Amino acid sequence: MITTLITGLVLGGTYALVAMGLTLQYGISRIMNLAYGEILIFAAFAAFLLFSTLGINPILGLAIVLPLAFAFGYLIYGVMMQPLVARSKKSGTLEVDSILATFGLLFVIQGVMLVVFGSNYTSYNFLNTGINVLGTNIAANRLLAFALAVIIGATLFYVLTRTRWGTTIRAIAVNPDAAPLVGIDVNRTARFAFALGTMLAASGGVMISMYQTFNASMGVVFTMKALVIVIMGGLGNLMGALVAGLLLGIVETLVATHVDPGLTLAATYLLFLGVLLWKPSGLFGKAAGR
Amino acid sequence: MLEVTNLSLRYGRHLALNQVSLRIAEGETVVILGANGAGKSSLLKAIAGLAKAEAGSGVTLDGKSILGTKPHLIPEAGIALVPEGRGVFGDLTVEENLLLGANPKRARASETERHALIFDLFPRLAERKGQLVRTMSGGEQQMVAIGRALMSHPRFLMLDEPSLGLAPIVVTELFGALKRVKETGVGLLLVEQNVSISLSISDRGYLMEAGRITGENSAEALKTDPAVQQAFLGGAAA
Repeated sequence: MITTLITGLVLGGTYALVAMGLTLQYGISRIMNLAYGEILIFAAFAAFLLFSTLGINPILGLAIVLPLAFAFGYLIYGVMMQPLVARSKKSGTLEVDSILATFGLLFVIQGVMLVVFGSNYTSYNFLNTGINVLGTNIAANRLLAFALAVIIGATLFYVLTRTRWGTTIRAIAVNPDAAPLVGIDVNRTARFAFALGTMLAASGGVMISMYQTFNASMGVVFTMKALVIVIMGGLGNLMGALVAGLLLGIVETLVATHVDPGLTLAATYLLFLGVLLWKPSGLFGKAAGR
Repeated sequence: MLEVTNLSLRYGRHLALNQVSLRIAEGETVVILGANGAGKSSLLKAIAGLAKAEAGSGVTLDGKSILGTKPHLIPEAGIALVPEGRGVFGDLTVEENLLLGANPKRARASETERHALIFDLFPRLAERKGQLVRTMSGGEQQMVAIGRALMSHPRFLMLDEPSLGLAPIVVTELFGALKRVKETGVGLLLVEQNVSISLSISDRGYLMEAGRITGENSAEALKTDPAVQQAFLGGAAA
């Protein structure tokens, strides 16, 4: 039981981080990014490539992958999303438009990955030694991934909730119309939040590559899980994403070890359904109606 | 000096502002009186860069044109707006709203003093600094909106119907605070339907009707002006 809990918590840590990234993109920039998981997998491949060809370990790899991911997100928002945002001021269809646009992006990134990396499952050996935690044997790479998730997640949480700059980012989610009144450039801030979300997706990818096998067509699973977590936690709520992410990690591990590994995705949706029936606006969401 | 010259604004075919001209000097308090739909809100929005004026319009600050400036750069120029409906960040706390108010660079140097001034003006905000703004009363939210605007260290503060929907006792309290804001040297441009209380703190006033300025006078003179009496005090307006 303790084994399951700890393994689940470790997995949940990565989920929580990934979900925080989607929260930034969907909850704050208002872009529903269906290619989110593809970016994550791309980063996993990048970490693999850096490790297997150049011998750069994934921790150092993060220092290379994350800035690139940020730049990619910044570029994508500027080129693809900004025209949609500008258009939506009249039509109000940003959500549908962004779903369609990123659905296309999904196939582009996936196609590139299939061509470059092929469709096989990939993994690499990094810190694959057991460490004893409270009587449970856990791979060091998982523990490291968890520690990274905690560090990155806590830093982000602190910045977003305790600094002026972070409050600015939350403000455009709360009331974008009022943001210019306090000198906030909504477009620029949304772009920044989107790029930051991309960076978090990539960090999740690097972490997953450390302890799990992955392939080029797996992205959608992560998009769906992140989306489930974000909605379960309450849209745009960072604390919600954190708690729901950990919860999902634990439930998945429980089901995989005690019921059947094939049922994890089913369990994910069962949990999702249960939470929404109990609290329609999510664990930390505000009551319906705004 | 904030000066508006021949400002026109159109929503589709509807001419909301028709060649409006007015000026407000440093530290002066000016009220624009007019009925619903006279174009008062549109005027403030146009100055704040939130609505696009027609060609030939002019808005200048110290002689320099600020027309066409992006709305988020207007606070940086020293003009703050408290919009109709307040425009507060409801899901953030009082303290966070004030923090955001000091977002423009011009506000940073005097942030601590302004913060103290606002809590002095509105002691109730000091008591509730950790509260989410959406859970507060209308009057308190208006205080947050005004406090947030003051945090930006404005030279001119524009207020769109601050008394709207508030109980008379709260309105009195609010205007008492505005009077003290005025004494700190901030120029106030006020749009109101509540004639008597807004004239009581104003130096000058303009009358507005169907998108045009129809009169201008000192506040003293407007108090006894039959046109004002007829338009507001005899009519249905509160």
